[in-house]
Amino acid sequence: MTVTDLHPEQGRAGGFVPSAPLLTALIQRAVTRMIRLPAVLAPTVIMPAFFITAFTGSFDGISRVEGYPTDNIVNWVAAFAILQSCAFAGIGAASAMATDLDTRFIDRLLVSPMRRGLVLLAPLGQAAVRALIPTTIILLICVLKDASMPAGILGVAMVYVGGMSMAVVMGLLGLGVVLLIGNIRAMALVQVISFLVLFPSTGQVPIELMDGWLATMARWNPATPVLAMTRQGFLGEISWSETWPGLLVIGGGLALFGAFARTQLRRLDG
Amino acid sequence: MRSSSATHVVAHGLVRRFGDLTAVDGIDLDVGEGEIFGFLGPNGAGKSTTVRMLVTLLKPSAGSASVAGFDVASQPNEVRRRIGVALQDAAIDPLMTGNESLRLQAVMQGLGGRPGQQRVGELLERVGLTEAGDRRVGTYSGGMRRRLDLALALIHKPSVLFLDEPTTGLDPTSRQAVWEEVRSLNDEGTTVFLTTQYLEEADQLAGRIAIIDGGTIVREGDPAALKEAVGDPTLRLEVADPSRQEAAQGILARFGGERPARAGRIAIGLRGGTGSLASVIRALDEAGIAVGHVEVDSPSLDDVFADATGRRLEGAGS
Repeated sequence: MTVTDLHPEQGRAGGFVPSAPLLTALIQRAVTRMIRLPAVLAPTVIMPAFFITAFTGSFDGISRVEGYPTDNIVNWVAAFAILQSCAFAGIGAASAMATDLDTRFIDRLLVSPMRRGLVLLAPLGQAAVRALIPTTIILLICVLKDASMPAGILGVAMVYVGGMSMAVVMGLLGLGVVLLIGNIRAMALVQVISFLVLFPSTGQVPIELMDGWLATMARWNPATPVLAMTRQGFLGEISWSETWPGLLVIGGGLALFGAFARTQLRRLDG
Repeated sequence: MRSSSATHVVAHGLVRRFGDLTAVDGIDLDVGEGEIFGFLGPNGAGKSTTVRMLVTLLKPSAGSASVAGFDVASQPNEVRRRIGVALQDAAIDPLMTGNESLRLQAVMQGLGGRPGQQRVGELLERVGLTEAGDRRVGTYSGGMRRRLDLALALIHKPSVLFLDEPTTGLDPTSRQAVWEEVRSLNDEGTTVFLTTQYLEEADQLAGRIAIIDGGTIVREGDPAALKEAVGDPTLRLEVADPSRQEAAQGILARFGGERPARAGRIAIGLRGGTGSLASVIRALDEAGIAVGHVEVDSPSLDDVFADATGRRLEGAGS
């Protein structure tokens, strides 16, 4: 058998191998790694439970304050716990890339005739898959804690859209930083960024109950509209006015961090 | 457009700079189809940088190179389809099994489904890993990893195989196994570009070698011819009383030019070959210098390297 026999698609433009099966195989590898590395999987399961328990335990009394939009704090902070956990899922994907850089597995990818974009898409796929775990765990805890979901299945779908989008956006940011710095040390910086983005937001308290600079930061924080979009199903019906700002932020994040990550990826090509 | 396939790896004035550092400084290469070409040099000489340019992992700063008839800079995917690469640090995921690693590699080369699975089975058998195929790579020995790395590089039946230090860190038995596999692949028509710092490896495998030092090629040709060109055999001598070493050096200088040697030893290119050895010993004896150890070697690749650079290769005996 010759090389040509093994590659019937050799004449394709650019000489790339088919992307869909390769992307599937790379995501499968990432998920397999996650399952076989308990140290990675444990935070994915434990962190969301910790977040929702800590937030609701510490701030339970706030739901009795006048003007708080719900009488069950879980309805408000569940979205925050989900986005926080999903941000970690995105960071985990960036961490997997850092490991591939450290072990030079990345060379194996780069020396194959694959589209370069798959180097980014595979960890992002992993991030999206991984985000399903904490989102589902938190939703189950919400059920146990008598959270409401007046929007029904659409509200649940919105929770998954918000969570997976957060994982992908943070994954892109993380990938860009990891490719810029070139090793696992980049992860500390990515984690700090995620905390800085998520904490000064409406995660725990609505803007109306905030004062001074905290309220200003929360108002302009890009995480706030994503939180509102993800949370709306817990508080009432799904509305376009609560949805589009979140989608806009997600779209902007994908475009901005996507461009950043792609620019850094090009540096890998010599 | 593909150029002539008679030469499989060609470089003209290939340069790679990293900031102010010039790692590869204008090298020319010409490797024929079906050859085993040894690329020899010490650590930091520019071997790996050259290979990374040839396998499209690094862009040349200047000059040009083509592999299997395709330009590495302008037609990288055509090159990638035709090369197999086993890099120095054997980048294999320790959490995956050998079987999974090969299946992923097959998809990475566009070889999915049944043909891919069939090829995986063939290769596991070829490198003797059929039984270990379902074990995680993290449990493999160094030799098993190298064999798996070789199998990964062969998944798409490449016409040119790049092996970067394929036996570094392996025990002699594993090293022999890799050598046998390389010979066998070459017998099947695969062109092999082998970088190594092991002189014996280059001597055993390569039909032609190039020696790189400081980013430039200092010798190139058939190993036997290169050794012959060095000329006289090397006499290595250790005096019994180290305080007499300088005096011994003065005497030995009458019998041949000094060659690099490790501390405590004197080495010369012995004019007249082994026939002059008795005269050397007699001269030292007349000067009252006792000899602790003496040996005469036919020129080796280490001598070729020393002749070209004034230094011995790291790890090479002297």
